[in-house]
Amino acid sequence: MRHVSSGEEEAGAAPPHPDVSFSPARPGTVAEVENLAVTFRRGNRRIHAVRGVSLDIRPGEILGLVGESGSGKSVLGMSLLGLLPEDTLEHTSGRVAVAGKDMLHGSADLRRRVRKEHLGSVFQDPMTSLNPTMRVGRQVIEAAGSTEEAVRLLRAVGISDAERRMSSFPHELSGGLRQRVMIAMAVAGNPSLVIADEPTTALDVMVQSQVLTLLRSLVDEIGCSFLLITHDLGVAAQVADRIAVMYAGRLAESGPTDTVLRSAAHPYSLGLMRSRLSLTSPRTGTLSTLRGEVPSPVAPPPGCPFQPRCDLATDDCTQLLPDPVPVIPGHLSACVLPAEVVRARRPAPDAGEQDAGEQDAGGQDAPQADAADPESAVPAAADAPGAASAVWVRQIRRTFRVKAGRGRRKDLQALREIDLDVAAGESVAIVGESGSGKSTLLRVMAGLERADHGEVVLGGSTRPQMVFQDAGASLTPWMTVGALIDERLRGEGLSRAERQERVVAALAQVGLPAEVAQARSRQLSGGQRQRVALARATVIPPQVLLCDEPTSALDVSLAAGVLNLIGRLRRQLGMSVVFVTHDLSVARVVGDRIAVMYLGNIVELGPAERVVSQPAHPYTKALLSAVPEAGAAPMVLTGEPASPLAPPSGCAFHPRCPLADDACADSELRLRPVRLRTAHDRAVACLKPELI
Amino acid sequence: MLQLAGKRLGAMVVIILALTAVMFGLQKISPLDPVHAMLGQSASAQAVAAERHVLGLDQPITAQYLHYLAGLLHGDLGTSYRTRNPLSSDLGTAFPATAELTLYGLIFALILAVLLAVATTLRWPGSWLFRLILFVGASMPPFLLAIGGILLFFVNLGWLPATGRTSIHNPPTGPTGLLTIDGLLAGQFNVVTDALSHLLLPALALAIGPAVSIGRVLRSSLVSELRSDYARTARAKGQRERQVLIRHVIRNAIGPALSMTGLQAGLMFGGVLVIEQVFSWPGMGQYMTQSIPVADFPAIAAVTLVLGIGYVLINTVVDLLQAAADPRIDV
Repeated sequence: MRHVSSGEEEAGAAPPHPDVSFSPARPGTVAEVENLAVTFRRGNRRIHAVRGVSLDIRPGEILGLVGESGSGKSVLGMSLLGLLPEDTLEHTSGRVAVAGKDMLHGSADLRRRVRKEHLGSVFQDPMTSLNPTMRVGRQVIEAAGSTEEAVRLLRAVGISDAERRMSSFPHELSGGLRQRVMIAMAVAGNPSLVIADEPTTALDVMVQSQVLTLLRSLVDEIGCSFLLITHDLGVAAQVADRIAVMYAGRLAESGPTDTVLRSAAHPYSLGLMRSRLSLTSPRTGTLSTLRGEVPSPVAPPPGCPFQPRCDLATDDCTQLLPDPVPVIPGHLSACVLPAEVVRARRPAPDAGEQDAGEQDAGGQDAPQADAADPESAVPAAADAPGAASAVWVRQIRRTFRVKAGRGRRKDLQALREIDLDVAAGESVAIVGESGSGKSTLLRVMAGLERADHGEVVLGGSTRPQMVFQDAGASLTPWMTVGALIDERLRGEGLSRAERQERVVAALAQVGLPAEVAQARSRQLSGGQRQRVALARATVIPPQVLLCDEPTSALDVSLAAGVLNLIGRLRRQLGMSVVFVTHDLSVARVVGDRIAVMYLGNIVELGPAERVVSQPAHPYTKALLSAVPEAGAAPMVLTGEPASPLAPPSGCAFHPRCPLADDACADSELRLRPVRLRTAHDRAVACLKPELI
Repeated sequence: MLQLAGKRLGAMVVIILALTAVMFGLQKISPLDPVHAMLGQSASAQAVAAERHVLGLDQPITAQYLHYLAGLLHGDLGTSYRTRNPLSSDLGTAFPATAELTLYGLIFALILAVLLAVATTLRWPGSWLFRLILFVGASMPPFLLAIGGILLFFVNLGWLPATGRTSIHNPPTGPTGLLTIDGLLAGQFNVVTDALSHLLLPALALAIGPAVSIGRVLRSSLVSELRSDYARTARAKGQRERQVLIRHVIRNAIGPALSMTGLQAGLMFGGVLVIEQVFSWPGMGQYMTQSIPVADFPAIAAVTLVLGIGYVLINTVVDLLQAAADPRIDV
């Protein structure tokens, strides 16, 4: 049931309430937030997390609350739950009501009872959010009241074998199952509202799409409302009835999902949409980014918080804090400019990447390339390293011995047999879910991990350099940025002054000022840290740059900037790039070619654009359909990814494959990527490859 | 779990075996001659040789060790050079006294530790005073604490006795040797209360230091577990704060405190020997202090072995409890 009505929408823009006196719940809402402001104290500093937000949640709707880190979206969720830390309450103003009860200033017991009777919640990490030492059944019973009800709920969220699962501990379940257990607890007792804070962020893309589908069907069946807090506009777009966009503790825009997506009226929402990668983002040239970073929550600017990053900002914007006002009934935007002016604005070229106006070096896979021409084919797995190979990986296998409970040890087959040839200057994106072995492959290429079998041949004399997902953790906390980069220059026979010069040059190359050399990693933002990691990797230009999900921990607007930077460094320094990611839309943009991995094997390898537009392997097709896109109903694969502890016989994908038959399960079958007859640049490990 | 228990018990046997070897070795390299210690410096060479033969000291060293081990297996800890009694009978009276004192010390330490941790975590009113008293107590050496306790509760207030295990003349000599338990079994409740009043001061003096150590570890894990995601989930389900603490947090927070308890129990075995001196407690500490000056090596070895077994036993129990508390621990 999609709830689209008009008329009450203006309620969301209710004027600031000077007092906190209490009115009964308005009909037609399950929760109301009025002019909420929350300030935390951290030492001597005040953190203005939420600064005057008004919002209504209506019965039976999914409201997608979208924002980057620091936008205040999670704090808003915690205030609805009445779970703000006690010491922040004195710095909290406004009104938050759920089922007509005051969730800000009500007594602790009142708020607790509202949580028990009217609210449910799902949090990001289902491993830490479930009690590790309590059986799943008991945890669900706490919310459900009885064993029968708990079993019924577990069935309702799609857990097969619910009775048996009741006696499992959380660590015995997969991530997707754990999140289903969380959802079962959240909808126990038919709450009127469920707060879901990044419920799919820690999950693989296929599991994510299963969970989103489940949320939608639960809302339609039970009729409860969901507040879906997410950083990913695509996730919200897929299931939400309405979307509210938050920025720096303020509401930027809200309205029905289609309206916000099609005719956004706030420059931030537009910027967010433009910098978000999709499967149709342009691959040539630079990605559009938002310049600058989110303003400090300690000293927010007096005017519009987005003004420092806004291309349309006027003098007014630096002075006036705009409140959300209706563009049309039901669609609010907190911008002083008319919506037409905002929408007419074309995205500006990224200021930091001006030099990158030229075309992407990956010209060989331009759509007009002739698929039938064998000359243009990229070898899938060469029998010998090509003259221009930067890394040549042959028959790599890697198995780990892991503890498998009860004192037994099992073999975890991380890499089952990998052949890959990365040409000099080429960029290959490796895509896969967790457990596919993609990071292990990268570590074997880097020489950080030994292969049990096979060989890695490097084209050049320099060792490959690596950039990791968590840039904060990969920079030694007590060393200055300068010292970290300088470390790589030692032993090169350079004088101190020369080394210093090189450090500054490396920082400049990644778009950081020379002063950053004196900073330590904790003083930098996430985007800056990733740039420092890149500067460290490229201060002596390597032949090959290995990137392990370098942007997946970054906000959308920053991730695009880092991707642009990697592309530019690659062209300027003539490096090859091997880029591991779980996100096909990222892979499509950074890779000349894409290698799709499943359970330690490459199942499909080919030119990026065409792998995405014309997938040949059923697994690639499933992955593509799971990428959250507005309105698109995902093709949901049933089941969980198979475990690398016990890979299925034959084709490892056959238990989940819609095309599989007996031949696919044959234990004698050893599938390796082979070139398609219809497209020589494509190698697919499947008995029935199909080009659509 | 069973497999873990098997492994731990196996490790226990190995450790105890190593302990016997060390004790035996020390005895052998000691310059003190036990025979002279027994017979006096002026004993004739003939008498010495005869005694050496009786004690088996003229046999090869490996044979002596195996003989010693075989005796241990039969409960024969050797013969004291000083009292000339079998050590199993000497320690038969001293060991239960020490065991009872240590047991109550450990129980008091755990109770105080949990109180300290919970009171300061939940900020109970008056918890600061409780914490202050414990911290001051813990910063004093136990014997000083014991003397202070005697001066206050015996000399000035006259509330508690200062010496011995009991003032009842014919206490039951029941199956365990622990007066509080034997009294209960025999239905003589006056024995139980009398024994408890004797236990209170020495056990508290023994308990306060370990209580603070265990309590601080427990508190810090309680604080961090109360901030954990699953505690937030429990609150979001509408659980009361007390339920969050009891049902969810305690089992997750107990691990580090259990480790600390094992360590502190080891230290308590050292502390109890001193405390027994202050309270004239007829335990192994008293026995040991009389054995050391006369180089009664079999006695010293026997006491050390008994304490060592106790220590290993407690730490094995701690390991098993930790595995029981956390299902993720697996061998």
